[in-house]
Amino acid sequence: MLLDVKDVSLSLKREGKYSKILDQVSFHVNNGETVGIVGESGCGKSMTALSLMRLLPDKAKLDGEIRLEDELISSYSNRKMQKIRGNQASMIFQDPLTSLNPLHTVGKQIEESLLLHTSLSKQERRKRVIKLLNDVGLPRADELIDEYPHQLSGGMRQRIMIAMAMACEPKLLICDEPTTALDVTVQAQILELMNELKERTRMGIIMITHDLGVVAEVCDRVIVMYAGKVVETAPVEELFENPKHPYTKGLMQSIPKLGIRKQMLGSIAGTVPSPENMPAGCRFADRCSQAMDVCKTNVPQMTQVKKNHKTACWLYENKGVKKDAAAGSEQPKTAFYL
Amino acid sequence: MDALRYVFKRILLMIPILIGISILTFFISNTIPGDPARLILGPKATPDGIEELREEMGLNDPLYVQYGRYVNGIFHGDLGESTYSQQPVIDDLERYFPATLELTLFAMLITVLIGIPFGVISASKKDKLPDQFTRVFALLGVAMPAFWLGLLFLLLFYLKLGILPGSGRLDNGVSPPDMITGMYTVDALLTGNMVAFKSALIHLILPGITQAAVTIGMITRMTRSSMLEVLQSDYIRTAQAKGGSENRVLYGHALRNGIMPVITLLGMTFGHALGGSVLVESVFSWPGLGKYAVNAITYLDFPAVMGVTLLIALLFITVNLIIDTMYHLIDPRLKYN
Ligand SMILES: Nc1ncnc2c1ncn2[C@@H]1O[C@H](COP(=O)(O)OP(=O)(O)OP(=O)(O)O)[C@@H](O)[C@H]1O
Ligand SMILES: [Mg+2]
Repeated sequence: MLLDVKDVSLSLKREGKYSKILDQVSFHVNNGETVGIVGESGCGKSMTALSLMRLLPDKAKLDGEIRLEDELISSYSNRKMQKIRGNQASMIFQDPLTSLNPLHTVGKQIEESLLLHTSLSKQERRKRVIKLLNDVGLPRADELIDEYPHQLSGGMRQRIMIAMAMACEPKLLICDEPTTALDVTVQAQILELMNELKERTRMGIIMITHDLGVVAEVCDRVIVMYAGKVVETAPVEELFENPKHPYTKGLMQSIPKLGIRKQMLGSIAGTVPSPENMPAGCRFADRCSQAMDVCKTNVPQMTQVKKNHKTACWLYENKGVKKDAAAGSEQPKTAFYL
Repeated sequence: MDALRYVFKRILLMIPILIGISILTFFISNTIPGDPARLILGPKATPDGIEELREEMGLNDPLYVQYGRYVNGIFHGDLGESTYSQQPVIDDLERYFPATLELTLFAMLITVLIGIPFGVISASKKDKLPDQFTRVFALLGVAMPAFWLGLLFLLLFYLKLGILPGSGRLDNGVSPPDMITGMYTVDALLTGNMVAFKSALIHLILPGITQAAVTIGMITRMTRSSMLEVLQSDYIRTAQAKGGSENRVLYGHALRNGIMPVITLLGMTFGHALGGSVLVESVFSWPGLGKYAVNAITYLDFPAVMGVTLLIALLFITVNLIIDTMYHLIDPRLKYN
C-alpha cells in the first residue's frame, strides 16, 4: 500500500470558531493506481489533498493517521514534511496560469524541485529539466526553458506543472482538478499524458475532480465524498454500473448522456449542510428521498456491500445488500431536477 | 537591447518636461510681488539706486528675454548668482546638495534594511506577536513628528549619553575628504581617508534614523499589505508544494512579486527627501538643500529658487525613470514601449 489514510479529521478556524471540515476520512492508494475523489463543491476534496501535503491554512487542527510507504508522515514536523513535498509526494493544482510564478522562467521553476531535493549539478539539472519537458510532450524544450509562463498556452502551462511535479519522480501525485481550467481537447491530452506517466512510473495518483467524465477516463477506483465524509468507494466500473449510496446515484444521474434527447443536466435538490450545523445523523438525509428515521439520528458507518465496494448508508448497514435496492438498475427515488 | 532603447527614449522625453518646468517656475517667480533689487539694497536704498541695479540685473528686459538669457546660461553651467549668498547658484547647489543626497541615501538604506524585512515578517506572522510588534513600531514611526523625534534623540544620545554627535557632518578638527562626489562618507572611502569616514558616518546616524523613522513605518506597512495579497496566490502554494522552506517561499517567490508597490513608494519618498528635509536639517544643523531652499524663498532669491526647483525636478524625473526601469527588470510581462 502506497498511501494509507486513516480517520483523518480536519478543523479549520473561520471567524473565530473552529468548524469540522473533514470527518474521519479514510482511504488508501496503491502503487500504479489512480484513485478519484469526487463530490460537490465544498465537500472537502481540496482540503483532503492539502491535509496529505500538510499545506493547510493557519490554525488548522488535523487528526488521524497518514502513512506514505509505511512512514507515518502525519507525525512529521513541518521541516520533515518539506523533504516529502515535491519529492515523494507532489501536487498539481487547478489553474495552471495562477499556479506558476509569473516572474520566474519555466526552467527555473522546474529546476527548483531538483535544487531542493537532489544533489545534481547545474548542468545535470538543466539536462533533467529538458528531459522532463520532453517527457510531458513539450516541443523545443531548450528554448522553452527560458520562457515565462505568460508566453505559454493553458495546456502548455499545465504540462509545465506536471513536469514540475514529476521532477523528483514522486511516488504519489495529487492532482486537484488539473483539467478544469482547460478546454476539452487539451483536457483529453492532459489526461492521456497522466495515464501514460502512470504506466511508465507506477506512481499512485489521486485525481480530484467533479467531472465524472474525467473519472471514467483515468481512475481505477473512486471515492465519493459528501460534506466532509467519505460516503462510498468502489472500483470505477462498479461505481458507474452499480452505485449504492443515494448521493452517488444522484451524481450518476447528473451525467448528460449522448443520444438521449431533452435530458438536462440533473442536479440534486437541496443544499449541502454547512460545517457549522451538521445534522446529527447521515449528512445526506435531508436531501435523500429514501431517508428513514434512523438516518436523521444515527451516523451510518462504511459497510461492505460487495468486494471492494463500501458505502456509508443505512439502506445497507448490517444487511449487506438491501432487498429493495438490490437491483442496481432500479431508478433511485431521490428527488432530482431532470 | 530593448531595455537600453527604452531608457534612451525616456531620457529624450525628459527634455520637454524640464523645459516646461523651467518656464513655469521662471514666470511664476518673476511675477510674484517683491523686488529683488530692493531686497539686495536694503531699506535705505534710493529709487535711483534700485532702478540702476534693476537695469544692471536685466530685470527691466521683457520676461522672454530674461528667460532666454537664463536658459542660455544653463547650457554654460551658469544658473545665475544667488542674491542672498552672493555666490553662483551652481556652486551653492554643489555644496549643499551632496550633503542632502548623502543623508537621504543613508536614511533610505536604513529604511530598506529595516522596513522591508519587517513588512515581510509582519505579513508571514499575520496577527501574531511579531506582527503586533512591527505594527506598533511602524505606527510610532509614522505618528511621531520628525523634529520631535530628532530632539529626543539629541537629548538622549548627544546630551545625556554623549555617545553620538548631534550636529554638522564632521567632528571639529577633521577636515573634509578630497571632493569627488561631495558625499563625505563616499569620498573618504574612495580616498582611503578612514578618519574622515568614521567621523562622517557617526554624524549620519542620528539625522539618518530621524529621517528614516517615518519612511520605515510607511514601507513596513506597504510591504505587509502587498505581501499579504501575494501570499494568497496559487503560485505560493505551488512553491510550498515543491518543498521550499518558509524563507525560500517568502523571499524567493513572494517578495519579488510583492515588491513593486514598495519600490514605487520608496521612489516617491526618495524624491521628496532629495528636496531636503528642513526639519531634520535644522535640528541637526545639517548643511543641506532644505535649509538653502527655505532661505532662498524667504529672501526672494529667485536664481536660487529656480536652481533648486530645476534640480529637484530633474531628480524626480530621474527617480521615476529608475523606478519604471526596475519595473521592467522585475516583471517579464511588461513590454518595453
Ligand atoms: N481557509 C479556510 N478556512 C476555513 N474554511 C475553509 C477554508 N478553505 C476552505 N474552507 C471550507 O472547507 C470546506 C471544504 O473546502 P474544499 O476547498 O476542500 O472543497 P472542494 O471539495 O475542494 O470544493 P471545490 O470543488 O469547489 O474545489 C468548505 O466548506 C470551505 O468553505
Ligand atoms: Mg477544490
